[in-house]
Amino acid sequence: MKTPRPLALLPFSWLRPAVLAVGLLATTGVAGAPPAQEPARALAPADTATRPLPADQATPLPARRPDAARLRELRGQRDFDYAEAVPHLSAWDLFWARLWQRVQNWLQQRSYTHFWRWVFYALFVAAGVFVVLKLLQVDLTGVFGRGPRRGPLAYDAAAEDIHAVDFTARLAEAEATGNFRLGVRLGYLQLLKQLADGGFIDWQPNKTNHAYLAELPAQGPLRADFREITRQFEYVWYGELGLTAGQYAHVRTGHRALAGQLAGGPAHRPA
Amino acid sequence: MRAEIGKIIVGQTDLLELLLTAVLADGHVLLEGVPGVAKTLMAKLLARTLAVPFSRIQFTPDLMPADVLGTSIFRQNTGEFEFRRGPIFASVVLIDEINRAPAKTQSALFEVMEERTVTQDGTTYAMQEPFLVLATQNPVEQEGTYRLPEAQLDRFLFKLRVGYPTLAEEVQILQGHHAGFGGTSLDSVQPILSAADLGALRAQVRQQRAEPNILEYIAKLVGQTRAHKALYLGASPRASLALLNGAKALAALRGRDFVTPEDVQFLAPSVLRHRILLTPEREMEGGTPDEVVQQIVQSVEVPR
Repeated sequence: MKTPRPLALLPFSWLRPAVLAVGLLATTGVAGAPPAQEPARALAPADTATRPLPADQATPLPARRPDAARLRELRGQRDFDYAEAVPHLSAWDLFWARLWQRVQNWLQQRSYTHFWRWVFYALFVAAGVFVVLKLLQVDLTGVFGRGPRRGPLAYDAAAEDIHAVDFTARLAEAEATGNFRLGVRLGYLQLLKQLADGGFIDWQPNKTNHAYLAELPAQGPLRADFREITRQFEYVWYGELGLTAGQYAHVRTGHRALAGQLAGGPAHRPA
Repeated sequence: MRAEIGKIIVGQTDLLELLLTAVLADGHVLLEGVPGVAKTLMAKLLARTLAVPFSRIQFTPDLMPADVLGTSIFRQNTGEFEFRRGPIFASVVLIDEINRAPAKTQSALFEVMEERTVTQDGTTYAMQEPFLVLATQNPVEQEGTYRLPEAQLDRFLFKLRVGYPTLAEEVQILQGHHAGFGGTSLDSVQPILSAADLGALRAQVRQQRAEPNILEYIAKLVGQTRAHKALYLGASPRASLALLNGAKALAALRGRDFVTPEDVQFLAPSVLRHRILLTPEREMEGGTPDEVVQQIVQSVEVPR
């Protein structure tokens, strides 16, 4: 059996129409039994007559007027200025104010109706920030993890540009001072430049001499000659071998022969 | 020595050259490779070519420092303690599966590997020359293994990767096995170098020439490891010394009395790969120390 619901527990939306309906029925006499016959209400007694009020004989009071100067003075005081000044907000302030207002609204709401909408907004903002950081090439790899312990380099790791060296002048200078070891080095670098210009080798500062040797064509005298010149250079330069003028002249003859060979040979691009 | 080891080992020429370089440079070697690529065999063969005392220690999780270094025992007849030397007291020590012992036992190797001494009960015992530690480890297995401390890794001159043989080399291995040469009989390998011979060779290696530009080149390479953005920890000056000593030994092996940039480049991965630490981000990206070393080698100008 269904228990009748107490009136107090009824929801307000149900309660109000019910009460109104009961009231309406009560006033129109539709609800319940017909009311008992009431005696007619007695009107005012017959001997009662309206009497006019006596005339006002009081002296009219003079209206007090506040002092205009005092009013102006009070008007000028800040305490009596009840109009709230609207602060002038810049577009940036307005943006943040609205953002925080939305965040507050979101935090104060008691339901999660708009939860996923805010999640979407957050993802959208994060994607925007990511794109901006990428465009600015900001490296954030160390923000959330252990950053590498980078130390400053106390030297210049830049490559020496063999194309910017004036070999003729520097060779003449080295030979004039009797620095034959330096002369062998400069002659070897000049040959490397010629090989690079001729497309025989792909010049890279990090390559070793033997890497260049491997780039030369296996057939023909070029590789054999360059191998011999490389061997001489390594013994003189890395092996710190002191040269006599005669030995230097012999090495330079080999350099010139290879240079001549390069000048007359066909260009070859290494793979 | 190459020829003797080559009687048993097929291929691995670069690895063999690096092992001999370490022997000449007076440095310890960590061999890393998956099971079955002849790490232990190569170490045993190398030890066999040297006519010096050899010992082998199989590292296990329950191994204690005293099992390696030795311990003092009480002699009842004399009423005194006597130090019983452990297996570390040999000229060539093969430590198999070094990463299976906990850090406590591995720490016992710190002093002996660097200072060539063992201190027990207040007494310091010097190791005899030569003293060479050859250790092996398996990089794949994680269960029951312990990562070597950085301080210990730094004490190895080289960390060498033992890779798989090529197809032709594997066929050659199979042919030898099929013909009845199991490939693991060490009887055919004869000792080549005595301790005195090795000492003389090492003295020659120390006299190798290294031009100032080569020294600067080595310093630049190692210095770059301290500035590389993919590295959390760069190499120490000990790495620079290892690179120089190794390059001198390699140059001698290659028949020169001077070091070239080629020697340095050849040794850089073996010297640096275990002395640098990648950043977590780089590790997660799948980067390897070898890749970073390669980048560094390519970024520094070769002196000439």
